[in-house]
Amino acid sequence: MSGFNRLSRIVPALVLLLGMGTLSGCATPPPADDPDAVAEYRETNDPIEPTNRLIYAANDRFDKAIFRPLAVGYRAVLPQTVRDHTHNFLGNFGMPVQMINDILQTKPRHAGDSMMRFVTNTTLGVGGIFDVATDFGWPDHDADSGMTLALWGVPTGPYLYLPLFGPSSPREGVGLGMDYMLDPFSWIGVDNTDRNLGYAKMGLSAIDERARVIDDLDKVTGQALDPYATIRSLYRQHRQSQIDDARDDSKPTIPAWFPAAMRHSSKPTTASATLQ
Amino acid sequence: MSADRLTNFRPTRRHLMGLSTAVALAICSRAARADSDTDRATAFMTQMVAELIAVVNGSSDTSGKAVALQKIIDKDVDVNGIARFCLGRFWRQASPDEQKQYIELFHKVLLKNITGKVGDYSGVDISIQKTFTRDDGIVVSTSVLRPNNAPAKVDWLMTVESGHPLVIDVIAEGTSLRLTQRNDYSAFLTRNNNSVTALLDALKQQANG
Repeated sequence: MSGFNRLSRIVPALVLLLGMGTLSGCATPPPADDPDAVAEYRETNDPIEPTNRLIYAANDRFDKAIFRPLAVGYRAVLPQTVRDHTHNFLGNFGMPVQMINDILQTKPRHAGDSMMRFVTNTTLGVGGIFDVATDFGWPDHDADSGMTLALWGVPTGPYLYLPLFGPSSPREGVGLGMDYMLDPFSWIGVDNTDRNLGYAKMGLSAIDERARVIDDLDKVTGQALDPYATIRSLYRQHRQSQIDDARDDSKPTIPAWFPAAMRHSSKPTTASATLQ
Repeated sequence: MSADRLTNFRPTRRHLMGLSTAVALAICSRAARADSDTDRATAFMTQMVAELIAVVNGSSDTSGKAVALQKIIDKDVDVNGIARFCLGRFWRQASPDEQKQYIELFHKVLLKNITGKVGDYSGVDISIQKTFTRDDGIVVSTSVLRPNNAPAKVDWLMTVESGHPLVIDVIAEGTSLRLTQRNDYSAFLTRNNNSVTALLDALKQQANG
């Protein structure tokens, strides 16, 4: 299986890098007689900060030298509409694994959204190039395995800055692996062509995502006194809000196009009549 | 029960009823006040959003927009409060002179960062979604629409402590501006021997750079 082949290469590399990380340095906790500093250290929850900073610096160099220029080129060469449709097309591949996570999160309404998005966008939306599902009342939402684990009560754990993937945590790192395993597209295909198409999709997705945040990330790194710490803070807050949104979701089941007159037909209208 | 004890009991009961009425009234008036606070916050935000949209979508250049934005910020945002929050535990460590310098620099850097952000925006629309109270203030949720961008959820946290609503935080897509800033400053300070002077130097560079 091509998916398994890829995984068998990625996992040892990750394990090796993480192993290197734990060897090369841990943060020094502040002295116990400074309660404010100790509280802050606990809140930051970044015990392997020196290692994380090394990986951040390496990622940053890679980003500045190769990744960001590629994304800038991508944005310069292709007009916005083409980029949007590419983004829709790539995002459509993520719907099956998103639906699986919706189900694991026991969010049937979200799961319905993901399924209908995949079905309508793949067919009416010409292979996912056009996002017709949003107009039909099935908007996109965030759902991945890291969030699923969070809703199951798994704590996030200390901060982890992963090579290439960036800000993460043990929970989100495991989530990345789970998403890969749960994604049917990881397992489709048997020959080299399929595998290469998979790599192309991964590469294009990465450039697409990078291109979408060029300006925002430039501002963050330009305005922060400590970009590493700022990204750590932004990542954690954003992740928490994604999880809170999923947990608090109370979206009605009925899609927008459903006739308004029929929406309330299930209401017990006879009950009020008998009372009078 | 003797008549004597009954007479003793009656006033207590009357008191009790009086007390419960007073409590009920207090709860009602508190709820009413909370309602009026959220109403005021919504009205305040509607006004501020209208002013913001007018400036951001206006035809003036970046420096013109900066001047107009500064007016809105001075009037509607508790910058001093935000500045103190961002310095966190180091505020107490700073000398009065350092505190004064810090507040001044914070104003400059904040304005610079904000105008840097909105200078090239146009066609922005902000719609108010809902208002609710939280432990630390009143939140007005808005949806910010920029051309070619997905709508962004932006929450404005405000306090009415001074009698007049003031913005004390902006939470964009779940990320709090003042918390992120505070984490940035505290990381910088931790890596610079907790020296407020070092922070002031860095802020000077940001303000003038």
